[in-house]
Amino acid sequence: MSFPTRSLCVGITTLLMLASFRVSVAQQEKLTQKQLDFFEKKIRPVLVDKCYSCHSKDSKSVKGGLILDSRDAIRAGGESGHAVVPGEIENSLLIEAIRYDSFEMPPKEQLPESVISDFEKWVRMGAPDPREGPTLVKREIDFEEGKKHWSFQPLKISDAPSVKNQSWPRSDIDRYVLAKLESSSLKPVPDADRRTLARRLYFDLIGLPPTPEQLQTFLDDESPSAVEDLVDQLLDSPQFGERWGRHWLDVVRYAESNGRERNFVYPNAWRYRDYVIAAFNSNKPFDTFIREQIAGDLAEDPTNEQLIATGFLAIGPKLLNEGNKNAFKMDLVDEQIDVTTRAFMGLTVSCARCHDHKFDPIPTAEYYSMAGIFRSTDTLYGTQRQQGNRQSSPLVELKTDQDKLKNLRQQKQKRLDDIDGQIAANKKRISDQQKQSKSLSSRKNKDKSKQVDKKAVANLRQAINKSRNRIKQLTQQRKQVEQQQPSELAMGVRDGKVSDSPVYIRGEVSSPKGTAPRGLLTILDPELQQPVLTTEQSGRRELAEWIVDTENPMTSRVIVNRIWRHIFGVGLVRTVDNFGTTGEMPSHPVLLDHLADEFMNDGWSVKSMIKKLVMSRTYQLSSNHHAENYEADPDNRMYWRHSPKRIDAEALRDAILVASGKLNVSPPSGSPVSALKGEYGRQVKVGQLIKDHRHRSVYLPIIRNDVPEALKLFDFAEPSILVGDRPVTTVPTQALFFLNSEFVTEQSDALVANLLIEQDGPTDDIGRVSVAYQSVLSRKPTLDEIERATNFIERMQDELVQQRDDISEEVATEHAWSGFVQALFGTAEFRYVD
Amino acid sequence: MDSFFSRRSALKTLSCGFGYLAFAGLATQQSIGDDKNKSTNPLLPKEPHFPAKAKRVIFLCMRGGPSHVDTFDYKPALIKDSGKNAPEQRNRKLMKSPWEFQQHGESGLPISSLFPNLAKHADDLCLINGMQGEVPNHPQAYLKMHTGSFRFVRPSVGAWSLYGLGTENQDLPGFITLNPETRVGGAQNYGSSFLPAIYQGTAIGQVNQPLQRARIGNIKNDRFQGDVQRQQLNLVQEMNQDLLKKKQVSPELEGVIESYELAFRMQNAVPQLMDVSDESQEILDMYGVGQKATDNFGRQCLLARRFAEAGVRYIELCHANWDQHGQLKGRLEANCRATDQPIAALLTDLKQRGMLEDTLVVWGGEFGRTPHVKKQDGRDHNSKGFSTWMAGGGTQGGQRVGATDEYGINAIENKMSFHDLHATMLHMLGLDHTKLTYRYAGRDFRLTDVYGRVVEEIIA
Repeated sequence: MSFPTRSLCVGITTLLMLASFRVSVAQQEKLTQKQLDFFEKKIRPVLVDKCYSCHSKDSKSVKGGLILDSRDAIRAGGESGHAVVPGEIENSLLIEAIRYDSFEMPPKEQLPESVISDFEKWVRMGAPDPREGPTLVKREIDFEEGKKHWSFQPLKISDAPSVKNQSWPRSDIDRYVLAKLESSSLKPVPDADRRTLARRLYFDLIGLPPTPEQLQTFLDDESPSAVEDLVDQLLDSPQFGERWGRHWLDVVRYAESNGRERNFVYPNAWRYRDYVIAAFNSNKPFDTFIREQIAGDLAEDPTNEQLIATGFLAIGPKLLNEGNKNAFKMDLVDEQIDVTTRAFMGLTVSCARCHDHKFDPIPTAEYYSMAGIFRSTDTLYGTQRQQGNRQSSPLVELKTDQDKLKNLRQQKQKRLDDIDGQIAANKKRISDQQKQSKSLSSRKNKDKSKQVDKKAVANLRQAINKSRNRIKQLTQQRKQVEQQQPSELAMGVRDGKVSDSPVYIRGEVSSPKGTAPRGLLTILDPELQQPVLTTEQSGRRELAEWIVDTENPMTSRVIVNRIWRHIFGVGLVRTVDNFGTTGEMPSHPVLLDHLADEFMNDGWSVKSMIKKLVMSRTYQLSSNHHAENYEADPDNRMYWRHSPKRIDAEALRDAILVASGKLNVSPPSGSPVSALKGEYGRQVKVGQLIKDHRHRSVYLPIIRNDVPEALKLFDFAEPSILVGDRPVTTVPTQALFFLNSEFVTEQSDALVANLLIEQDGPTDDIGRVSVAYQSVLSRKPTLDEIERATNFIERMQDELVQQRDDISEEVATEHAWSGFVQALFGTAEFRYVD
Repeated sequence: MDSFFSRRSALKTLSCGFGYLAFAGLATQQSIGDDKNKSTNPLLPKEPHFPAKAKRVIFLCMRGGPSHVDTFDYKPALIKDSGKNAPEQRNRKLMKSPWEFQQHGESGLPISSLFPNLAKHADDLCLINGMQGEVPNHPQAYLKMHTGSFRFVRPSVGAWSLYGLGTENQDLPGFITLNPETRVGGAQNYGSSFLPAIYQGTAIGQVNQPLQRARIGNIKNDRFQGDVQRQQLNLVQEMNQDLLKKKQVSPELEGVIESYELAFRMQNAVPQLMDVSDESQEILDMYGVGQKATDNFGRQCLLARRFAEAGVRYIELCHANWDQHGQLKGRLEANCRATDQPIAALLTDLKQRGMLEDTLVVWGGEFGRTPHVKKQDGRDHNSKGFSTWMAGGGTQGGQRVGATDEYGINAIENKMSFHDLHATMLHMLGLDHTKLTYRYAGRDFRLTDVYGRVVEEIIA
């Protein structure tokens, strides 16, 4: 079965141009009178009548890039290939189309059988055709022209610009920013105060608010290096990787299920998540990080870490119920090309799957060159073959040391013993119940309480059945456990059969036309050497090296821009995932190149780059309003102030848990999804999986199509697509979450419990209000705020007592306080970081 | 009341309502360099591409693949040849419909006895008998019907409609799906994919659940009610106002403030709308509310009318279990009994309120069923030919558009794909499906991909 897989590219319609008349080879063909007659009588009238309305140079809109009104045109064909190949019925798409084999032309009604056979005869006789005329030619990709686009150009390194106000900049970054501001006659606003800066740094670097104690420590630190010390401390904390790893997980569409119409879980995806977190914590050089994710398995004697890294290619959404193996494979390959080229290089290569890229210089042939690399790769994502899943796969077996192996065997034995114990218990229960039932039945006739007994017997019978079913279930489970090999498994890839990929016309696997030798894109040559791919390996290693090559102008720019995006809220290039011609130009191109260059010189160190950015004066500005600046640059594209940021979904939930004292900062082992098997959703709901989950939000289970509410409501990255730039929306459902959700109520109660009950807590209401403010908003309340708060609590308490006679005064007090804390959580101040 | 409320009404006139400034961060994705979009509420009503026939859509989704040859596709040859071998199908015999077809209305549309009430609206129905899908599997076909694609995660029809037109009542979600299916793609079927999340459908309840107990998430607080909660909200807003004063200008903060007011209105408006106790007994009876067979779907239809009346742009209802591989007789009859009266009531009700003319009602499932059977009394999936129907919203009633072959196996005349259906639905809403695009990942996407044909015959 063939599925159309072309994707739409509207926009530029100038792809096709009329070529001038040219003398063609065909002109030299001598046509016999008989051939001419046949064409004029049988072929031309049909073409004119049935085809020209859409396929002539005079048509209003030419469909499929195909015109049929000249010999050259009909032979050149359109976007899908040659319409007519003289003498070759099988390769003539026109014949295929009028037979309704692939395309169905003319679309309204099929031509009569006799006409179809005339056309076949005509092609067989060599498609004699007297018609001179232009052909539509495809725009040949002009690489020289294409290369002029800024992001394909090599980095331009120059000295930092000079500025008028020399005392202001603290670093080169500041010089670039200030130069631009000065050229627009704008002035940066004053620096942020220390409290604001601390809260900003905590959220930006580790995604958590400072506790009141942490904040006080920083404020009391009068040394000139206090800010830098705090930055170092935050970059070194294990919470850093949890924050920044999650940014990366957005880009690589991390999730723990395949997420399509049948949704099967990926119980081992979390290993990749943990790998990413660890990589950011250990400040793994970003080029190594890239190499490992694309080709970690091809390293010499790969470590478990390197094997797990390739999970990057395996965790994507998949149409597991696809019956056509080749179609499944090509979709998988497409997804891998897409995530690889966009994540690392901001290039939308997969646009070229069905036709040459309409905007960037990427021909379809090169798409299939790259496809060959992934086609020669086996993707190991697990899942079991069962109804709804026709495309299961094995997993990567990790190397397990002896102790761990022993441990795993013991765990397995323990589970088996446990199941055996349960089976025995159920058997015993059955035999007891059978005895009981027997004795009841034997008494039945004598006893007066016949009715009662009858019911009791029925109940027993039901209980016995239940136990029997349970035994069946347990036996099944036992079998499964027994089959499990005591090894640790991960998602990932390995090399498969190495071969080149066919070029599929319009991306349809039913239309292969020739093959494309495995390789990479021309666009970045020749500055960057095209590697020679061996037949022994898929070519992923070479692909990775090509991406991280310091001559590759895209990679360092893209990652530096991603880092900038998370520190400043908006990228220097706002379209962080698209550096092609449809993306935006950088606001500060020279600064971007400067940073990209430094990044590589610093050994691709993410932490150094972050430190550079946050130590800049630009970052440390206040978020103050400034009327003239605002008038000139309301979007703050020139960085005259620090733009306030809505904290993202994870930080929001984590901050609530920090305030309530309920956050479990230690990472969990594995994921709630690890315990699941098969298809998601029939019995399990995410609500059950995360009940009492108090770890950081990065560890919440991410099931495609069932993302936890607290994340989804606040613009969590859609896990089926690559998201480098989460949107920020402000919608009423978020307000309802703060007003009414169980989660916020529970956490408010928890904070109040600490306020009211804890021994060493504050002893009066003023103190309590102050602690609540500090816990939630990282600041002390003003006197007015204290008064307002205590008034509110008092009034609330009175009304609750009056309104509800089912609660005691004590409970009313707790509720009133909780209502106050909940209001603090609900404020815009809590949600935004200045 | 206090100064707060004057501020609130000022905001209301000044700006924009639901989701005001929802897009601070979205301008980039939506339309590069088009910063003026930033200050408008993306859900405010927008001008269609051309004058619309329909202002809203009610999609009656029959999940499982309702049999067309037993309902809306009359096949005399199937009756005649019942029991004979099916063409090109070994071991399969044609089976005539166990139900009689009769002509109805002035138009004489043939409709089976399974829909006696709906048949009274024959002259308003445009039967689409030439539907043709690709894959006779529920999951793929169901996603195709809702998003136009099962290969890729794509926005749903409702999300596209909302994106194209905004919505009229800013106190309510613009796209509501009642009792949605949780499998076969689940939330993807009303999701927004790469469109901003604000356009996704709001689910109420889930499939096979009594609607009476269903709620929108977080819509009610059990601890603080009415005035007590309002006071709490006032505290939040006072703090927000303080901050706004300090900041002088902050569209983001104004957005938060507004979102609370809207949420508060929504939490009153939605339960009120969902509480049907203010309907007359006559209306309740008409929809079959209170009758065992029709209660749940009757409530859905009644709610659909209430939401439509209140200005919701796109409303979907789901009725499951149309997958009769066996027990066709009993189970199809039960389904029709559960839906016939409510749907007929919905049409009547819309009509008597003058709303049918600008409400497009669409009925259909992901595919139809085979006219031939393996076992007795059951039909299998058939995606090559099946039926849907439309009513109201500028459709030409009392006609059949497209046709299947003599037995109802293949669509042969005026074949319509889901892309065509979507193109036509958008057209009714005043939207050109080739122009309703969204830039994502460097290219412009459409609901209908590169396909779709507006089927003119359907339009009045």
